[in-house]
Amino acid sequence: MLPGVVAQALATLYLITLLAVERQLLIIGLLGLAVIAVLGAYWLGWLDPVNRSFADREDVLGVLALVAACAVAAFFHDNHFLLLLIVTVVLYTVATLGLNIQFGYAGVLNFAGASFFGIGAYTSAVLNAHSAVPPLLVLLIGGLIAALVGSLLLLPVLRTRGHYAALVTIAFALLLKAFLEVNDVLGGPQGLQVKGMTIRGWAFNDNIELGNVELSFYMNYLVLSLALLAVAFILVRRLERSWIGLNLDALRLDETAASCFGLNIVRWKITAFTLGNFLIGIAGALFGMVGGFVAPNNYTFADSLILVSILLLGGVGSPWGSVVAAAIVIVVPEKLQTIQEYRFLLYAVMVIAVLLFRPEGLLPRPARNYFPGWRP
Amino acid sequence: MDIGLLAQHVMNGLMVGMMYALVAVGFTLFFGVLDVIQFAHGDVLTVGAFTALVTFLGVRAAGVGSGPILLSAMVVVSIFAVAALGMLIARYLVLPLRTAPALNTLLITLMLGTVLRESVRLFYPQGANPKPFPALLPTNSINIGNFNLRLDNTIMLAAGVMVIIGVELLLNRTKLGLAIRAVAQDEETARTMGINFLAIVLVAFAIGSGLAAFAGIMNGFYYNEVNFGMGLYLGVIGFAAAIIGGLGSIYGAILGGFLFAALQTVGTVALPFGSAYKDVFAFAVIIIFMAWRPTGLIQEKISERV
Amino acid sequence: MTRALKAAMAILAVAWLAAVVPAEAKDKVKVGFIGPLTGGVSANGLGGRNSADLAVRLRNADPKAKYEYELVVLDDECKPNVAVQAATKMAAERDIVAAATHYCSSTAIATVDVYHRFGLPVVVWGAVLPDITYRNKYPEVHRVNGTMINQNDTNAELLTKLGYKTFAVIHDTTDYGKGHNEYFSAALAKRGGKIVGTFGVGSDQQDFTAELTQIKALNPEVIYFGGLTPIGVRIRAQMDKLGIKAVFDGTSGIVSDAYIQGLGALAEGTLAFREGAPTDKLPGGKFFMEKYAAQKYDNPPEAYGAFAYAAMDLILDSIEKVGPDRRRVIEDMAKVENRDSIIGKITFDDHGQNTVSLITKYVVQDGKWVVWEDSEYASGKRKLPRQK
Repeated sequence: MLPGVVAQALATLYLITLLAVERQLLIIGLLGLAVIAVLGAYWLGWLDPVNRSFADREDVLGVLALVAACAVAAFFHDNHFLLLLIVTVVLYTVATLGLNIQFGYAGVLNFAGASFFGIGAYTSAVLNAHSAVPPLLVLLIGGLIAALVGSLLLLPVLRTRGHYAALVTIAFALLLKAFLEVNDVLGGPQGLQVKGMTIRGWAFNDNIELGNVELSFYMNYLVLSLALLAVAFILVRRLERSWIGLNLDALRLDETAASCFGLNIVRWKITAFTLGNFLIGIAGALFGMVGGFVAPNNYTFADSLILVSILLLGGVGSPWGSVVAAAIVIVVPEKLQTIQEYRFLLYAVMVIAVLLFRPEGLLPRPARNYFPGWRP
Repeated sequence: MDIGLLAQHVMNGLMVGMMYALVAVGFTLFFGVLDVIQFAHGDVLTVGAFTALVTFLGVRAAGVGSGPILLSAMVVVSIFAVAALGMLIARYLVLPLRTAPALNTLLITLMLGTVLRESVRLFYPQGANPKPFPALLPTNSINIGNFNLRLDNTIMLAAGVMVIIGVELLLNRTKLGLAIRAVAQDEETARTMGINFLAIVLVAFAIGSGLAAFAGIMNGFYYNEVNFGMGLYLGVIGFAAAIIGGLGSIYGAILGGFLFAALQTVGTVALPFGSAYKDVFAFAVIIIFMAWRPTGLIQEKISERV
Repeated sequence: MTRALKAAMAILAVAWLAAVVPAEAKDKVKVGFIGPLTGGVSANGLGGRNSADLAVRLRNADPKAKYEYELVVLDDECKPNVAVQAATKMAAERDIVAAATHYCSSTAIATVDVYHRFGLPVVVWGAVLPDITYRNKYPEVHRVNGTMINQNDTNAELLTKLGYKTFAVIHDTTDYGKGHNEYFSAALAKRGGKIVGTFGVGSDQQDFTAELTQIKALNPEVIYFGGLTPIGVRIRAQMDKLGIKAVFDGTSGIVSDAYIQGLGALAEGTLAFREGAPTDKLPGGKFFMEKYAAQKYDNPPEAYGAFAYAAMDLILDSIEKVGPDRRRVIEDMAKVENRDSIIGKITFDDHGQNTVSLITKYVVQDGKWVVWEDSEYASGKRKLPRQK
């Protein structure tokens, strides 16, 4: 367990440093340092004990990760922009976890991830403006509606495979954006403003004041997002280790053989697709409230490709990989202003490199551990 | 509805359908030969259009003012440059991944499309702005009632038809075409018969990409404008058209292209808010169609090793 | 642990703290600028940015200035969602005291709530939608240029006086285009013009043959266009392709050199209207043009450069007076009355809106935007399409 704790502590310190530093040269230096450190650790064989401790004591390390996130947040307690950045990373991770269930476990292609994210966001916009539904329930409804709309695609998704399946979700992504843009009821190209949450009188959009210290109002959303991430993460891990995960893996690896063994392909594909969209929708609903604004241009096919890039970069089927990849993909372009304009180009090149040279991703999914902690 | 108006809508549909068909033929050619979907095809089209624009600007700056020379220079340079690009993509990105799962190829070509698109946007001066495309074709027009028949549109339509017929003849009447069809049907046997697999693949990609460049130039002349995002939209529609028509079938691809354009035209004419919803309508029909006939109108013959 | 190792760790810790704890703020004050630096209307955005930059440079060169200013520039790409992100970024950064924001109305209206939420005082320099200052009474939001109500009034007036009776309206579906549609339709109805059809189009739409084919059947004398240059260029070009003969009547959105460059000879005879006098006829116009040319920027100031300069100058004046504090700047801006600037005297009403009553009418003549009264169309030597 110790190697994992040390690795986490170092990562947290590194993240705080990277976020706090402003000078571009220092940032480039820090990024280079990280690459060298990781490669060095890999060659020296120091990464294996870390992997093992994560595999063995994931529960403790998970809690520690949450504590670390809170530490980072506390360090930047009054910096609006950095807290917003962290919230963005957390919510994109949740969305990627949803995509992971579809892509990584069940092998169901979904190139419309950002569209479902957007459906969740629009739901929260509409519900917050026109009804008195309690905000937490709004999140759930956002997820439900995303899952419901996804179920419209079920028939084509079930009946197609490979590139045909890709076409279905791509066509849906384009369709939804076009629909949102021409439809005036949902704000059209101008988008909708989303009111902030208020839970039992605690307004999420007001700064918090504890004595002399003023905390940015994004702290509220950060706490809620971390809670959501914790729940989603635990859900995904339990799902993977359970018999459901086993069925999904079988389905992904060889559909024909799986059905020969009596697995109900249709049922499991539906489960994976719907559950994934549900998670993505909830993340989208919360993100809509954080940003305060939804517009069709936020949820285009290019944004869906970003989610897929995060998933591939981190490692398909690897939740911890998604966390790391989301952090890289979102934080680095923001800090390295010079590459901000080039970020789409760089994401694409990065994914091509990953697919050519290391298709398993940064943190590959480990082999299934049937009995955690078992040693021969 | 007024017959002139109807004729105008039909003409618009034919022009757009021709462009979709050209892109769709490329997709189907790549699929037939290598069993791969080259998602970057649409953005290759963008590169073609911009190459033509650069050629135009360059040749004109060199002092040449004659319309026909500029036109031929643009077309020739663009088609050859893009054909070369297509061959490079085939050689270094698609062929090495033949043994990897098909998903990886799909993802790589998708990302490659993004790379091409972003490169145009970032490295062409002020690439994010739409760029005016020269109007080199004669613009005389005849007004028949409500229908405006323009000479440049007619020329482009005729050129498109000739190109398609040319590809048709190439594939069905020449030895090269025979070799391509052989490789598409059964790669191993074709190699056993002495066909140079690598050469044929490269030629097929060259032809497909050249078609895309031609479509890009047509698009440029039709709208008098090119922008870095034009390929993504055309690529997805071309892909959808190729699938509707059945992957692997050239006739199917052409049919699919015109069918999609017809869908859009019907959407424009029949729906009350006309052109705003035409894309929503067309894509919705595609999704429903995929649910009904997952492998397109002209079925692909699939066999799978279990 | 050896003493060397302890010493090394101590040094590392100190270095880390030094890097991470923010440095002492120097006497440098940050001000912001947001505009469309990329995309179809980037010419206007870059012109505005250069003008704001000019204001900052001139102020920094002024020995009487109390502070040294740094301009932070962000791009809103004329897209509402990008604008909200840029606005959030700028407003969340406490160092930035105030900002000159937005050319596109669709972006300006989307971001007013962000500026209010974070308390960042802003001065709009190019967006004309009235709602930006009038929908809410936010003390943070001000505007130096005029709104679209007057220009549409003048527009309807001129065209009905020239004898045109039937109009078709094409507008983009953002709040900007919808606003133009609303005000022009009202202004036209008051003067007895007839609108035969209204068409909403997407702000990045490529193909207008469907709408234009329908318009051809309706046969209006004038096509009024409420939208920005990129689609203005496309619509005008496709009008020609379909053989539609009508006056192309636009708004301040197409008063831009980019419009003429995109169309070439087809731009001839296009009408447009803009609030404020032409740049060279402004009170400080010559001064502004001279200083701008001296800096040798890559892009011209375009139609709203002078307003961007005035906006930034106003901000700098305020900061000089009350210091680099957002709240005090907001209080000071509420009291702006008859302040001198290159565009004339600026007074903010209770909604932060400056009144610009003069509307300039433009027509494209021989590849240039020419003031209507000076043109050969007004004198009768040339005729607009279907002019009697």
